[in-house]
Amino acid sequence: MVDGISILRSPLILGNKSASQVTDDVCAPLDRGPGMTWWFALAVSLSMFTLGVIAVTYQLATGIGTWGLNSTVGWAFDITNFVFWIGIGHAGTLISAILFLFRQRWRTSVNRSAEAMTIFAVICAGLFPIIHMGRPWLAFWVIPYPNFRGPLWINFRSPLVWDMFAIGTYFTISLVFWYVGLIPDLATLRDRAVSKVKKTLFGFFSFGWDGSTRTWQRYETVYLLLAGLATPLVVSVHTIVSWDFATSVIPGWHSTIFPPYFVAGAVFSGFAMVLTLMIIARAVLHFEEYITLHHIESMSKIIIATGGIVAMAYMTELFVSFYSGNEYERFAFINRMLGPYAWAYWIMVGCNVVTPQFLWFRKIRRNVALVFILSIFINVGMWFERFVIITISLTRDYLPASWDNYAPTLIELATLVGSFGLFFTLFLIFARFLPMIAIGEVKAVLSYGRKESHGKAREEEGRKVGEYEGLHGGTS
Amino acid sequence: MNGHHTHDTMEHDNETSRLDRRDFLKLAGFTFAGVALTGCEQARVEKAIPYLIKPEEITPGKASWYASTCAGCNAGCGILVKNRDGRPIKIEGNPDHPISRGGLCAIGQAQVLGLYDSQRLQGPQINGATSDWPTLDRTIHARLREVRAGNKSVRFLSGTMTSPTTLALLKRFLSSFKDGKHVVYDPISRSAILEAHARTHGIRALPHYRFDRAEVIVGLEADFLGTWISPVEFTAAYGSGRTLEGNPPKCSYHVQIESRLSLTGGRSDKRYAISPSERVPLLEALLALLEGKSQSAKLPHFSFLNDLAGRLNSARGTSLVVCGSNDVASQILTNAINELLGNYGKTLDMQSPSYQHQSNDNALQTLLTEIRGGKVGALFVHGVNPVYDLPKGREIGELLSRLPLVVSFAERVDETAQHAGFVCPEPHPLSSWRDTEAVAGVVSMTQPALAPLENTRSLMESLSEWLGNRASAHELMQQEWRKSVFPRQSAEKDLAAFWNRSVHDGFAAVAPRPHRTEKYDSRPVQNVASPETGADSFELVLYPKVSMGDGRHAHNAWLQEVPDPITKITWDNYAILSEAAAKKLGVLSGDIVRLSFTDPTAASGIELELPTWIQPGQKDSVVAVALGYGRKGTDRFANIGPRWFEGKPSVGPGGLVGVNAAPALQFLNGQLLYERGGVRIERTGRHQTLACTQTYHSIDTPPLLAQGSESRRPYVQYATLAAYAEDRAAGGGPKHESRSMWPEQHEYKGAHWGMMVDLNACTGCAACVVSCQAENNIPVVGKDEVHRNRELHWIRIDRYFVENDGELDVAHQPMMCQHCANAPCETVCPVLATVHSEEGLNQQVYNRCVGTRYCANNCPYKIRRFNWFDYLHEDAKQNMVLNPDVTVRSRGVMEKCSLCVQRIQEQKIEAKKNGKKVADGAIKTACQQSCPAQAIVFGDMNDADSFVSKRIADARRFNLLADLETRPSVGYMTMVRNRTNKSDETPHG
Repeated sequence: MVDGISILRSPLILGNKSASQVTDDVCAPLDRGPGMTWWFALAVSLSMFTLGVIAVTYQLATGIGTWGLNSTVGWAFDITNFVFWIGIGHAGTLISAILFLFRQRWRTSVNRSAEAMTIFAVICAGLFPIIHMGRPWLAFWVIPYPNFRGPLWINFRSPLVWDMFAIGTYFTISLVFWYVGLIPDLATLRDRAVSKVKKTLFGFFSFGWDGSTRTWQRYETVYLLLAGLATPLVVSVHTIVSWDFATSVIPGWHSTIFPPYFVAGAVFSGFAMVLTLMIIARAVLHFEEYITLHHIESMSKIIIATGGIVAMAYMTELFVSFYSGNEYERFAFINRMLGPYAWAYWIMVGCNVVTPQFLWFRKIRRNVALVFILSIFINVGMWFERFVIITISLTRDYLPASWDNYAPTLIELATLVGSFGLFFTLFLIFARFLPMIAIGEVKAVLSYGRKESHGKAREEEGRKVGEYEGLHGGTS
Repeated sequence: MNGHHTHDTMEHDNETSRLDRRDFLKLAGFTFAGVALTGCEQARVEKAIPYLIKPEEITPGKASWYASTCAGCNAGCGILVKNRDGRPIKIEGNPDHPISRGGLCAIGQAQVLGLYDSQRLQGPQINGATSDWPTLDRTIHARLREVRAGNKSVRFLSGTMTSPTTLALLKRFLSSFKDGKHVVYDPISRSAILEAHARTHGIRALPHYRFDRAEVIVGLEADFLGTWISPVEFTAAYGSGRTLEGNPPKCSYHVQIESRLSLTGGRSDKRYAISPSERVPLLEALLALLEGKSQSAKLPHFSFLNDLAGRLNSARGTSLVVCGSNDVASQILTNAINELLGNYGKTLDMQSPSYQHQSNDNALQTLLTEIRGGKVGALFVHGVNPVYDLPKGREIGELLSRLPLVVSFAERVDETAQHAGFVCPEPHPLSSWRDTEAVAGVVSMTQPALAPLENTRSLMESLSEWLGNRASAHELMQQEWRKSVFPRQSAEKDLAAFWNRSVHDGFAAVAPRPHRTEKYDSRPVQNVASPETGADSFELVLYPKVSMGDGRHAHNAWLQEVPDPITKITWDNYAILSEAAAKKLGVLSGDIVRLSFTDPTAASGIELELPTWIQPGQKDSVVAVALGYGRKGTDRFANIGPRWFEGKPSVGPGGLVGVNAAPALQFLNGQLLYERGGVRIERTGRHQTLACTQTYHSIDTPPLLAQGSESRRPYVQYATLAAYAEDRAAGGGPKHESRSMWPEQHEYKGAHWGMMVDLNACTGCAACVVSCQAENNIPVVGKDEVHRNRELHWIRIDRYFVENDGELDVAHQPMMCQHCANAPCETVCPVLATVHSEEGLNQQVYNRCVGTRYCANNCPYKIRRFNWFDYLHEDAKQNMVLNPDVTVRSRGVMEKCSLCVQRIQEQKIEAKKNGKKVADGAIKTACQQSCPAQAIVFGDMNDADSFVSKRIADARRFNLLADLETRPSVGYMTMVRNRTNKSDETPHG
């Protein structure tokens, strides 16, 4: 093993894998059948999800008053969760699209899961704007559809309408991108499938993939184009989400630095969530050789970078509030730091500014358990960031007489738990039925950092000719 | 497409009038489908039958108005009752009425809800069982015969009665017995004023206070703008003395000396906190200073009296000292001071006195002794609830149960009526004939706006029945008016014409009955005994709340949900403590404390358990508790508001709304006393949530979070009178310049509606809140929802405690939708549910709203209200009060002030029919109409001559958050206090 390593680059995939080994390793969890861990995890996630479903059903039947909102604080948990999940959904596209365009080849081990995570997170996020409405059954009114209600149209000046477009686009493109990336692997699954049902299903969804050079050529062109299309969305979605606040008149919301600040925060939180999930996955599914310490380190470095931007944004906000000469702006920020919700602010600072600093140390970056704990802290911190921005700003705005506090009700807590339940349920189902690592793409980086990779590959080629085709996803 | 096609063929079918085959089939298909669908639906048959013969007075969709008199309290304000389709839906003040001058208080506004209370008695009751009038009359006649035969006495116990007809009938009725007497008391007694005048002026009368003529006003425990005698009248009169018009600006000087912070004290120019035990020494000191007997006040903490005495001395005949205590000694001293200042005949009118309070606590005490002694054979109880509102009520209840004949006239089986063998419910005042002479010379008329909804009979009719010649109230009144009212005037020669005009106007101005006046007698003043002061214990002060009064309207959900003007608490009473006192006791707001004291006449000690409320302006040694709570039957509100698993009831731990504090009252020196010393306060360790509509009470941001001079938010502009006299724009910050780079978004070619609120006039009395609630179908949400800050009132009166020049000022700022020209709410709504009208109104389209609440978040004034649940009327019958011109909102929908757009439309249609422009002042919003202080002005800002335009041009005008460039159509006017020293801090805006 040690012999094969280049002195210049460390290999992305450890264990001196051959192409067929990759297929076997990645498909192993799918072949093995669900284990006790998976069933247990699914039971927990489904229970959480069910709790959420019960809470939302009760809320829909009784009224939005079952949330802790009031005349002063019209958004709190709902939009906090929404922005939190949208933020989580940022890493996937960033990894798939931007890192792809930047030729960051290590992305291949994590991009599939990260994209899946994106889609599930956007699903979770998308629920909140719908259920937070007073009359969610009329949610479709925010869509500009032709209607016979006279000249009724939507308000294109409303950031909520922009939101609807931004998230809708983002979800669609992410889904297509993810699916296109899946096609070669679906073909592999099809070829490995024993049962007729699986064969038919995977056969259908792999669009008759034949693994020919022409197919690959087309495929890679489409993938590149989609990556190019998805790249601006990484920036646009959270930019537009931030406009929900930036275009308002509420001190603490009304801020021009929100778009970059929100995007950086989203990448920050997204990578933290990818780390959380990948560290669990690599341990449970034995992917240590695919998702290596190198991957964890790389992602940690991105976290340091984006965490730095976030910390800078916090300081800029403070500076601007004092420099602006606007008494409301100043008050809003002093209130964040010292007011009744100061604890939330300091949790946010602790988790988002202090935590990433540990990752400067290589030793910590390579300590999987520590990185896992730190990633959890960042997840918590980023949730609180949204809570701080959205809720604290609303609790103390202009007129002191209308200041009020906010506390979530059990229904809101259950809804938050339920959204996590939905997210993990979807992720578990994904992990159970689809390859969590992009087999085809990983095979392409097998040789990276290996001295004799070409020789080795040739050797293998000689021994298992039929498997060579398997490298590229099987025959037609 | 098809629709267009059909339409086109229809338009151009001169040549061909037949449908082609496709259209025919389409239409036929729709028709059959329609028929089939209709057939499937099991629709309930709604009886909406048009009038076969239309009643002369009812035009569907058009309101008719009836002049009448408010019966919410004794003040006798004139009202106009708005009827739509035959039922009263709104009460407004009668602008022509000489007492109330167009205003009406919160209690008055809420009367219309009580009309539709399904818990009012449906008919007479005998021994708790429903009966009918003939049976009841037979039994009572028989019992009365027994009483007449025996030698027991007959007593008629009532609250103050101002009806000439009823009083005349009552006199005849009582004189038909050997010993029949009318005993009058009020739960909030003013007996001491009458008693003091009986001693000093030889006439047992309540002067008619003329605040409009007073230039120096001293209020001693008298909340005359909130609850004292005739607050609507006094507010109007007080306001007319503080208009700030002319040069030098007209503004009376008002000093308030009180133990708890009242609405009146909150807007005084100078305020001092004293304990009740200091009152008599203070009055003595003031009298001595005025008499010149002493050069300066002896007691050091009364040193402010030196200045006050000087002010009073320089305003002889134009000053007014009023005392709200029911202590005769204090009232005698007050009379002496007013007499010395020559105020009688000027600011105190004894020639045409007030009849608004005629309580005689001495007589009440005598009656209680008689009942205990078994001398009373028959007791009639009308308009009062002695078991509830007197001390030792339970004992009184037991005594009543033992009396041979007790007849109650209560509208429901209240605390007293349950001890009465007979209950003869009266119709609601809005459905009965009555007359009222609240102030000598003004006889107001009450006419029914609706036939009684229950099987009821008015007191007049009952009395006439029991006198043996039954007549209707209408007849009885006409008889009496012929005799005693018609002769007192000369304007109308014909009785019928006089009657008709009085019914039309709602009142008749006649000559007051001649009053015997005697010379001032100073002897009683020498005999005033100073009460002893209790050491190291609290003094308890019992007071009526602005919206609840003596508790007779406790069944009115609107009034229960009115935030108290000072504490902003709804749905409860509480023990008010100063911050220092609370600290000493170690309690916080909401902690339940036990108030205990011994009463020499009671066997055991008395205890009250109430939640604490910490209040600035309160004397440290005083604990104040509101009366009027803990009424029987208020457990009906346990389930008001939405029901869900975290929802909590609107009642307290006892199952009722609040706690009855009447057991703490005492009879002292013949008077019902609303204060007592020697009260111990202990913590109980329990806590009770108080539903306060504000969580933050100061205009200054918390010191920890403030940045130097930025601590004060510039929302309430304030100036001293001295500064204002020099510069009319005093107190105003730098005027905001509009610096928009965009072209005008909206052009207002026609009208541009605007509103101005004068903070100098507003007292925070909450009349506008209830008026708006009635006009705009605003539901009651219940205590838990108020606590969650979800009250739906479209007007929120922001109450700020402001420290101005060392004085604690209470600034009241009514906040309604500001109808911004650049409305932040309008841009953010995704579905265009809130849009701008071409007349400058910010309109909410309920049907279009999906409830994102973004508009409310983005409203810097936070005036938008959201329907978190479906808020239903607790009593389905009260749906009758709904205004058909205003949509009832369902859950999930945003709502807010519309500037009474339905009233604007009504007047616009009216003007269009007449081919004229809408006259200035023709449109009055509900809040404006009701305001006793006339603080609110509404009109067309495009009309340079309109009143509102003039107010906008006034130097006192300011807009809230003008620097946000929202350009609101609602503006405010600087609050001015009559103070000399200039304010060092100039709030900026």
